[in-house]
Amino acid sequence: MMDSITQKAGIAAVAAFGVVLVSSASYSIVSAQGLPEGFKKGDLAPEPSAEMIEAGKRVYFTKCVWCHGVDGAGDGPGADRLWPRPRNFNQGTFKIRHTASGELPLFDAKKPIPGQNDLFETVTHGLPGSAMPSWEGILTEEQRLQVLAFVTTQLVKDRKFTDKQSETQTVLQLAEIKAKPATDESKKRGGELVVEKKCVECHGMEGRGDGNAFNLKDDWGFSIQPADWHKCWNFRGSRQDPYNVGNIFRTFSTGVNGTPMPSFADNTTVDERWDIANFVNSLCERDALGNPLPIDPLTDKPKINFVVPSDLVEGEIPADMEHEAWKKAPKRYVAMGGQITHKPRNFVNRIDDIWVRSLYNDKSIAYLLEWDDRTKSVAEGKLPWAPTQVNIDIKEQDPKTGESESIAAHQNNYTVYNDAIAIETAVKWKELPAPIKPRYLFGTNDQFPVDIVKWEADGSLRAFKGTGWDKDFEERDNYEESMKLLKGEWKDGRWYVMIQRPLGNKKDQDYDEDTFFEMGQYIPTVFFAWDGHNGDAGRKMAVSAFFYTFMNPPIPRETYIYPAIIAVGVVLLEGWVLTRRANKKKGKTL
Amino acid sequence: MKALMSLGALIGVAGLLLLGGMIFDVIPSNTVRLVEGYMPMQMLFEFACFVAGFAGLSYMMSAMGMALPRFWQGIGFWAFVLLYLKFRVYPPIPFSVRAMYGTVSLVAVFMWVSASEEDWKKFKQPIMNVLDAQTGMNRLLRYAYLVILPILIGGFSYNAMMPKSEEPIELRTVHPAPPASTKVHGKTYTLQTSQNPYRVNQEGKYDQEYTNANIVEQGMGRLMKPNANPWDDKNQGYLKYVREGGEIFFQNCHFCHGDNLNGRGLHAFAFNPIPANFTDPGTIAQLQETFIFWRVSKGGIGLPNEGFPWASVMPPWEQHLTVDEIWKVILFEYWHTGYYPRTWD
Repeated sequence: MMDSITQKAGIAAVAAFGVVLVSSASYSIVSAQGLPEGFKKGDLAPEPSAEMIEAGKRVYFTKCVWCHGVDGAGDGPGADRLWPRPRNFNQGTFKIRHTASGELPLFDAKKPIPGQNDLFETVTHGLPGSAMPSWEGILTEEQRLQVLAFVTTQLVKDRKFTDKQSETQTVLQLAEIKAKPATDESKKRGGELVVEKKCVECHGMEGRGDGNAFNLKDDWGFSIQPADWHKCWNFRGSRQDPYNVGNIFRTFSTGVNGTPMPSFADNTTVDERWDIANFVNSLCERDALGNPLPIDPLTDKPKINFVVPSDLVEGEIPADMEHEAWKKAPKRYVAMGGQITHKPRNFVNRIDDIWVRSLYNDKSIAYLLEWDDRTKSVAEGKLPWAPTQVNIDIKEQDPKTGESESIAAHQNNYTVYNDAIAIETAVKWKELPAPIKPRYLFGTNDQFPVDIVKWEADGSLRAFKGTGWDKDFEERDNYEESMKLLKGEWKDGRWYVMIQRPLGNKKDQDYDEDTFFEMGQYIPTVFFAWDGHNGDAGRKMAVSAFFYTFMNPPIPRETYIYPAIIAVGVVLLEGWVLTRRANKKKGKTL
Repeated sequence: MKALMSLGALIGVAGLLLLGGMIFDVIPSNTVRLVEGYMPMQMLFEFACFVAGFAGLSYMMSAMGMALPRFWQGIGFWAFVLLYLKFRVYPPIPFSVRAMYGTVSLVAVFMWVSASEEDWKKFKQPIMNVLDAQTGMNRLLRYAYLVILPILIGGFSYNAMMPKSEEPIELRTVHPAPPASTKVHGKTYTLQTSQNPYRVNQEGKYDQEYTNANIVEQGMGRLMKPNANPWDDKNQGYLKYVREGGEIFFQNCHFCHGDNLNGRGLHAFAFNPIPANFTDPGTIAQLQETFIFWRVSKGGIGLPNEGFPWASVMPPWEQHLTVDEIWKVILFEYWHTGYYPRTWD
């Protein structure tokens, strides 16, 4: 056993020496064996049995073919409306691996061991941030191995997983590398290294994926975008464990095949890689105390609280985000899905979440909305639709148009419209018996309208009345005077917009016209967002579910009085029980 | 008997360690997964294991002369039930439901400890001891309770009275009663008599049996039958329509309902409630094909009030799909999940 290992190590060392000779990289940091630090030579896995491949074919043609296509070229019927597109298996290019850049991923049909079977783990856990779901609990372990046996032998056409002549395996020994604690020092050095190693050129100065956002293409010519480090739950290969720094270390060490993301194994030490991984991990959104956000196992995204609490401030609502009141206000994660209900549908949704805070005073309520958008988009020239207009008659792209015409191919080639955000509230929510609300998309009809306050990247802030998804909005002229845009700024891949609106016509209690914001009540609220570079305009946008704005009332005096009374009552009760017991005992003993 | 009890004790200790480890994140919390669809049975089984384990444990301990007083057994078991409901059950159940289960199990515990006069006496002995405060320890305990109880109860009521901004609970009917008939693309379909025109045999005749024979057995990892590949070019009839339905599904529906048809599509996480899970035996397996036809055609807008039409993202698919396409999608959904639609007879 030992012998064979040393023998292998010898061969590996010789092979690696050859690699080093050939590669002219002068800055290579290599271990004694001639491999990048943290890597070891691995063996190719044996070919799976014919029965396994045959069984895998059945799995593939039931579950996978719909996106990955009959020939595994990533061109199934679902593919054209997906971005990122499903993987084309033919070339054997896979993103998430423990192997060196350019190598095939680890797959052994007999060995589903964590960290030693990349493809199995991808199928098991899915690829967050893409359409690839987790197949755990759907397919048995055996079925997952079978389908991979089929894919690796039949659908990977340009390479062979068992060809010792052409394929090598250089495996990252993640389990054996001791993680470096995420100290401030380590994170600081990581922050310096991401600049030095030019990570920020693609991932942006604040890591929001906003650098070089237009020019990146994958190996098949489809435009792709760099990861947003603030949304670690969207990292491919994060395996339902997004805050695990090891995943970042792995991706950084091995690179992402088929994309411009290279492997940094050759020009960083293991220590440097941990620093960078710690830094990137530290950027991921956390709660107010700095703890990781709880992840909902149903959706693998942060858990959602559907109440947006609004705190009372004395005097003017501060326009400064750094103000104490805003810093203390609870920040809510609002998940956004593509509007695919009515034409034009938004299959490729680029704004998948926004963050909302709110404050109110005696006259107004203000929302602070923040969301990551890799591109600042401001429309030039005349827009095809006024923001009030329905554009449902637009001709929708046929999904069966082939790769070159697909939505994925068009990404980043749209006419640029305004980035925008809107808050929609139900006008007559007071009159409707709970839980009835107007329809979440632009209201039901004249009887149940909604009030939409929309900000656009050209700096405009307007209010509309919506009376149904297929009706033009009515612009509310007289109302806009009382609204105020406190802030509207795009910085390093993130929009910060602060909108202040009146609490409603309290004097006349005019529920027909205004949304009347009342303390201590659940006010149905929906958020819409548009990404101008995604061709989002009119009804093509991102939508949230129904949330509730809840204006926290000051704590009533009873809250302090009654519990005290109850406590006194309990003391009296205790006294009574004790006396009774004592009397009873006395009676008995006497 | 002894061997049996030892086995029970072993199961109990192992189970407790596992559960505790999972709650406190010492071992990965998904070590023992609750599998969708089997969750209730799995939990009943787990619970039975725990009860057996506890019985075994208490037997072993009394055999070793370290018998736990009945009082602490009762309290301990009840606390276990509460913790189990809180930490083990997923998706989490609301507090009100937990309170209900808690009350039921409290009653059960009372029945158990008061099964005989002897047991009941043993059970209340510790309480009486503290009340009488004959020993120093008990006196100390009595004073502690005297102070702690009012503080605790006062604190709880203060907590309960503090204004909170928790999500209001809204009870939605998942499968509201369908109408007698529905009009799609100008044609009226009577839900009781309409049939899926694509549920046909190779001769093109409506044939429930033929299509059922091509649906695989139910269960997780449902796959097509060998030689029943909808992607075979030579297919005619049922399997050809399954493929066409699948194409439509993956171009329109999987963004929400997911590649697994389990309601976890790309956009699903943003919606509340998240989209329907067709692999759950409580959804399409319980419904007639015509019900699905009505729901797909009319979408969220077409729901009656108890179905919360305002909260549904489901579009009226008649705006995007033809009647034929809708029937094909339904055919595909049953084929892919391996379920049979419910029929009227």
